[in-house]
Amino acid sequence: MLRRLLAVGVLVALLAAAPVWAQSSEGLVSRAQAEGQVEFYANITAIEPILEAFKAKYGVDALYTRMSTTNFAPTVLTEHQTGRVRGSVLQGPVPLLKILKDAGVLEPYRSPAAAAYPEWSQDPDGYIQVFGIEYVAIIYNKNLVAPEDVPTSHMDLTDPKWRGRIVMPDPSGHATTVQWLVGLKEHNVFGSEEAWWSFVRGLAANQPIFVASFGPTPGPIASGEALIGISMPKYIVTLAPAPLDWARVKEPMFGTTRGIAIAAGAPHPHAAALFVDYWLSREAQEILASEVGEYVLHEGVYPPIDGIDQAQVLPLRDMTDEELEYWAQELGRIFR
Amino acid sequence: MRSGNWRTSVSVGVLILIVGGLTLGPALMLLVGSFSQGLGAVGAFTLDKYARVYGDPRLTQVLSNTAIFALGSAILATGLALTLAYLNFRTDIPFRSILHMLPIVSMMIPHLAFAASWALLLNPNNGMLNLLLRQLGLGSINVYSLPGMVFIEGLLDLPVAYLVIVAAMASFDVSLEEASWVSGRSRSATWWRIVLPMLRPAILAAITLVMIRSLSAFAVPSVLGLPGRVEVLTTFIYRLISVGFVPDYGRAAAVGISVLGVAIVLVYLYRYLTARSEQFVTISGKGYRPTVTSLGRWRWPLGFVVLLLGIVLIALPVLVLAYTSFIPYIMVPGAEAFRQLTLRHWEHVLSDPLSLRALRNSVLLALGGATAGIVLSTFASYVIVRVRTRGSAVLETLTFLSYSFPGLIIGVGFMWLFARTDLYGTLWSLLIGYVATYLPYAIRPLTSTFIQLSKDLEDASAVSGASWLRTFRRVVLPLTLPGILSGWTLMVVMFVRELDVSTVLARPGTEVLSVQVFRAVSDALWGRVAALGIIMIAISTTLVLLGNLVAARFNRLGPARR
Repeated sequence: MLRRLLAVGVLVALLAAAPVWAQSSEGLVSRAQAEGQVEFYANITAIEPILEAFKAKYGVDALYTRMSTTNFAPTVLTEHQTGRVRGSVLQGPVPLLKILKDAGVLEPYRSPAAAAYPEWSQDPDGYIQVFGIEYVAIIYNKNLVAPEDVPTSHMDLTDPKWRGRIVMPDPSGHATTVQWLVGLKEHNVFGSEEAWWSFVRGLAANQPIFVASFGPTPGPIASGEALIGISMPKYIVTLAPAPLDWARVKEPMFGTTRGIAIAAGAPHPHAAALFVDYWLSREAQEILASEVGEYVLHEGVYPPIDGIDQAQVLPLRDMTDEELEYWAQELGRIFR
Repeated sequence: MRSGNWRTSVSVGVLILIVGGLTLGPALMLLVGSFSQGLGAVGAFTLDKYARVYGDPRLTQVLSNTAIFALGSAILATGLALTLAYLNFRTDIPFRSILHMLPIVSMMIPHLAFAASWALLLNPNNGMLNLLLRQLGLGSINVYSLPGMVFIEGLLDLPVAYLVIVAAMASFDVSLEEASWVSGRSRSATWWRIVLPMLRPAILAAITLVMIRSLSAFAVPSVLGLPGRVEVLTTFIYRLISVGFVPDYGRAAAVGISVLGVAIVLVYLYRYLTARSEQFVTISGKGYRPTVTSLGRWRWPLGFVVLLLGIVLIALPVLVLAYTSFIPYIMVPGAEAFRQLTLRHWEHVLSDPLSLRALRNSVLLALGGATAGIVLSTFASYVIVRVRTRGSAVLETLTFLSYSFPGLIIGVGFMWLFARTDLYGTLWSLLIGYVATYLPYAIRPLTSTFIQLSKDLEDASAVSGASWLRTFRRVVLPLTLPGILSGWTLMVVMFVRELDVSTVLARPGTEVLSVQVFRAVSDALWGRVAALGIIMIAISTTLVLLGNLVAARFNRLGPARR
């Protein structure tokens, strides 16, 4: 009897001390509901429909704080250092999350929903789950660019006919654009490094209209100030009925990876785990794809953009801040 | 006498403590960060960050662009403000109520939206005004250039200069001008020899404020400078923090320190140039009569020209904003745009609970922050002008500390500070951040008004047995009401659209309108940006009118001014 009581006691103690990921889904839901809310620090935008669906399904409030990349790491690191962690779930570019992981501010969590994702998307240590690719493409104004003029290769952007009519983020100051340009070289898209250099020089010679990030790229294309741009296909969905389309180039599409993780010392750890499970679910990823136009890695889910399900979308290698700085300077010299 | 000195020193000390408490924290965190190894606020000592940013070969060009940008916009804004303030307050120009509101409007619009509206109007490819100019055979204007940036920044900073100068202009005795005419001086000689010198404190205050503001402005350099390849200090800083995933704010702060240095030099220069304050006194015991000058036959033509200019420069971008809020995506006006008119941006903004909460928070912060800010600024300005000691110079410098750091980094300074306190994530942190950062907006118009106020009036009140507080309440406050109103207006309008501090400190529950705007900008949802921008203009206008009403009522209750 005593032994049985002891065993039950040990089991109860183990369960109470068990990490979030070891708990049953029913237990997780009730604990998350008891916590009542989850704070979501995210780099991704326009995701309110997912937060609403989460609340409707579980009765747990998902409170979203949009973190620009420039504020993300300083905020999370400062909160951690000062013991005032506010963000329970963190979503951002994977290199950023890896830096946070190395700084010890993430909690490992393997979501059961991760099974629907490719193997490469799972962090071997269980801290970060990659769920999407911030895909970059050539976007053009379909009312102003004749079908025969639409590029069929990235190299077509060097055609002088586009001079002064291409919009793109400033390659000397925008991390994803730097990664994308360098990625074209590393994936040997043009067949040789010399060809890549002539692409970069040809693009620079066309005097693109620079903007600070991808956010301001579709506006000038839609208004006709620019005819074409290095931008993101998701705007075809979010800015519909703007006359935007993507150029079906013969090369693959590339993008940086987006990940999600739980913060160490999260104020609402169970609600955080439940939120990550939901975020990675087919239901949430379908909302992300259909309403936000995101390219997600959940099997069989695509944004409602004609031809995207046939496109080859590849993740770019994570670059260190030193590499990014080096290439930003190199590209800056060419583009100025 | 000795007890008076003692009381003065204590009041200067207390104000230094309060203002220093507000502004020193983030500035010190940034200063420490600029000398610290690693990416946080505190680390082992290093000079490496300074060596790296100041060794950058692009810096010379950046500094030269920055100097032209800041000086140019300060001169343009102050020149325009001076002309408009003179016409509105000292002449019988028609449409005065419209002409008084117009210069303030550009401050109510999110600067990113104002700059983007001008890009729509004057971009070299298909800017709406450029299309018109080309049809008329007049060529085109490229707004993506240094002159374009100076022009738009000047317009954006016009309200700051205007409200500082208006405060002085409203308290300016016309009998000085009349005396000049009677002595045989022409109108233009009177303007150059009497009006301008008497307004020197206000003009210098306006130039100082606008210069520092444009040194740390980001919207215009980002929206207009990037396409034109014109880099200034803030876009240089932005590049430092945006190219990696873990931005080194210490390095950005090392650049920001130069702006702080320039600001401190400007503050001391201002004190030096206005040191003999008695020469600017226009409100004394001798009767004070701010009346208007007749423009004669120029009245209506001048009125129409100024109104037209005001409409083109200020109202046109607002119209573009209003238009953008009713179209599904950005397109040149025409039949197609008309066909696609939509209310969806408005429906979204007005039904979104987050936007409504942000609206409530913004109004609360604007009213509470501006009122708290003006109370503190009134006492601080009085001491800055009346007590010409080293302590008051320190106090004046302290008021500029947070304001002088580029907006891109000051928010992180506050975050580094507040994350160590229970204020983190509360509306209080935003309120303190706002007041601390924008103190000069109230201090500048108030100091230039206090300079005009003769000390004799206070002495007379004291001799008649009134306590200092009673003198301050019954004599000083009513006479400096234009300055108080200008400062309050500048703060209230600024707080409705404040982004630099808000974007770093706002959390769920403490969202504000400007952060909602920024989110919409990030998503390229310009229709939503425009709708929110129009709401901001409406709120600011209501609050400014409310402030004017309260001031008018207070004025009636106070002693007769004339």
